[in-house]
Amino acid sequence: MSEIETFRQNARAFLEKMAPKYGRDARAGNTVEQDLALGREYMAARYDAGFGGINWSPEVGGQGLSNMHKIAFDAEEMQFGMPVQFFGISLGMPVPILIHYCQDKAFVKERVRKALRGEEIWCQMFSEPSGGSDLAALRTRVEPDGNGWKMNGQKIWTSWAQYCDYGVIVTRSDPTVEKHKGLTYFWIDMKSPGVEVRPIKLAGGDSHVNEVFFDDVRLEDEQRLGAVGGGFGVALHTLMIERYIATDSAGFGPHLDEFVKLAQEVEINGKPAIEDGRIRSAIARNHAMRAGLDSITKRAFLMMQAGMQPGPEGSLQKLVAVRSRQKLSELAMDLKGNEGFAFDPHAFVKTDWGTSWLNAPTGRIAGGSDEVLLNTIAEKVLGLPQDHRPDKGVPFNQIPA
Amino acid sequence: MSMLYDEGQQAIATESRRVLDARMAKERLLALLDQVGVIDRPFWDTAVEQGWTALAIPEAFGGLGLGLVELGLVAQAAGAATSGAPFLTSGYGLSSALIGSGNAALQQAWLPRLASGEVTAAVAFAEGNTVLPAQPAVTLSGGKLNGGKPAVVGAASADVALVWASAGGQPVLALAELAGVERRAVSSYDNTRLHADLTFRDTPVQVVAEGAAAHALALDVLARMAVVTAHEQVGGAEALLHIARDYAVTRKAFGQPIGAFQSIKHRIAEMYGLVEIARANCIHAAASEGQPGFLIAAADARISATEAYDTNARDCMQIHGGIGVTWELGLHLHMRRARSLAAEQGSLLFWEDLLVNQLTGEAA
Repeated sequence: MSEIETFRQNARAFLEKMAPKYGRDARAGNTVEQDLALGREYMAARYDAGFGGINWSPEVGGQGLSNMHKIAFDAEEMQFGMPVQFFGISLGMPVPILIHYCQDKAFVKERVRKALRGEEIWCQMFSEPSGGSDLAALRTRVEPDGNGWKMNGQKIWTSWAQYCDYGVIVTRSDPTVEKHKGLTYFWIDMKSPGVEVRPIKLAGGDSHVNEVFFDDVRLEDEQRLGAVGGGFGVALHTLMIERYIATDSAGFGPHLDEFVKLAQEVEINGKPAIEDGRIRSAIARNHAMRAGLDSITKRAFLMMQAGMQPGPEGSLQKLVAVRSRQKLSELAMDLKGNEGFAFDPHAFVKTDWGTSWLNAPTGRIAGGSDEVLLNTIAEKVLGLPQDHRPDKGVPFNQIPA
Repeated sequence: MSMLYDEGQQAIATESRRVLDARMAKERLLALLDQVGVIDRPFWDTAVEQGWTALAIPEAFGGLGLGLVELGLVAQAAGAATSGAPFLTSGYGLSSALIGSGNAALQQAWLPRLASGEVTAAVAFAEGNTVLPAQPAVTLSGGKLNGGKPAVVGAASADVALVWASAGGQPVLALAELAGVERRAVSSYDNTRLHADLTFRDTPVQVVAEGAAAHALALDVLARMAVVTAHEQVGGAEALLHIARDYAVTRKAFGQPIGAFQSIKHRIAEMYGLVEIARANCIHAAASEGQPGFLIAAADARISATEAYDTNARDCMQIHGGIGVTWELGLHLHMRRARSLAAEQGSLLFWEDLLVNQLTGEAA
């Protein structure tokens, strides 16, 4: 058995031991706060068992294993529905950026350990009301203030900010130069005076994202990550870190098996729905598409294992999978007819068609909207021209609002 | 079998593409469209000369002892070039049937001749939209075949045919030499596929398989051929993606390349997505040859490749505007081929049903 497979089996054994207390079924009916408390416990147990910071350097407290080990663990963990959602962004982007750019190594080490154990959570503050896809259009500004900085402005769509201890943030330090050249990146203490977090209730009923307001928030220059004016580069670096993430060809919605099961249970015109041509066609098309995505993932994994760089086709995963989840959820609700009206906003999106449907639009927008992903494929993979950008080369403060 | 191509397989892909790029000419293919029952001789001679007919036949019978992965890569190159003559697929269908039958005499008699390209084969299973009819119109009695198969791919010039027939109500797979069989070439929208109606009248045959074994073998042969065809479709769909991309970066309108408009660039990005999903399914299917789950993998490959080629043919033409619909530009070679391949080896209707049957544990 390959070393990776042994690792995978050990991971599975650990997860099976944890599942009775922390797994999906054990947490049914919990409030978010109860889940968060369990999540912190689970993260500590995960760290103590040697599954925290799997692909991070031992120097900062990681396990020093490969990206494949991390993907293998994540793929196993996803099946158990552990309460890890609060920590995904924290450990995915902000903390690795802190490790890379922060000069105070003792501070970094302590933050990493606490973040891996779930004691502290970090958020990432990029999007603003004036621009999500157009990151460099941000308006939150910093001005020199003694030997540090003073920050004013607003961020939005910040996941889990209401529970966060720290965050990373991109700000505008110079509005007189081109928009992406006048940005500077910092870490901030979310408990600082002048930081106010207001949860946003989303369409599906949950409030995991927030608005964050800054009113004369003091930043020390030691909190700066990267050069003054180098914030856009650090932000791009942040987005590049998580290339090696576990994917889900079901678009983080229900598995196709759930749909097949439903089609076998209900009838259309007095016959099992599974015999209806429209339903069969939907199942077959979805299966073919998802099998293709799974094969892309499997090949990427094999390529990494062989020391090769996986192809750009991995960028299709989210685009294709979430769209199909949205339509399949609608069809599943059609199959249920008026028995599909009953709705539980806290039902698990991987087993419940209603919550899968109502939360699917978020998946098509967050982390790169469908349109941005299509642009990226067109420009970066296929070499098609960039869109017309009238703000190119124009100082930020001269771009018409 | 690994899902990563090794060096030898990559060399087959590169070399087959290089040879076909050098030898295939659009003008010749356009001229062949107007001719009924005429084989694309330069392509077929190339296929034989390059040893593509021998690829998937065991070395003991004069073949190269390779498999579906390698044949798939050649089929991809052939698809990109809209190569005529369908015998790489149907020849593989017959050789797979003979190998699967375990009949040593038949293998000895035919495999070396298929490998050398001396003999070309057609596979005559379908009648209309029924891919493996429960009651085939062709019947076998006393060793003689009677009845007709409509518009069989390759039959206008093939030497032999593998025929799905019934004998006393039981399915049978029979091998017929076509020398004395009545064949009427069908004037089709893709004439180099060499469609012909076959009419058997007391045609002597050799039985390859009978009863339940014939059904299982026919399904396996069909799935294998479908995987080859899916590769051919991916090759065509990818060629169209590249043609569309190249046109979108050079053609200008309203003062900029049309590829700068999101209506165009997103359409091309979607074409890319369809190609890569179908390619991944093809690689998986070819690598699962002979394993449990092969039928499902073949269906996934077939469904996604059909969707990719049909869609890309539609969209590539649309992106070209007026020039795209001219005879001379030849995009219609792909549009025609996308449809003829979509129907060969059973259409989406067949493969969708087969896939759902497999997923729910029903017999196909």
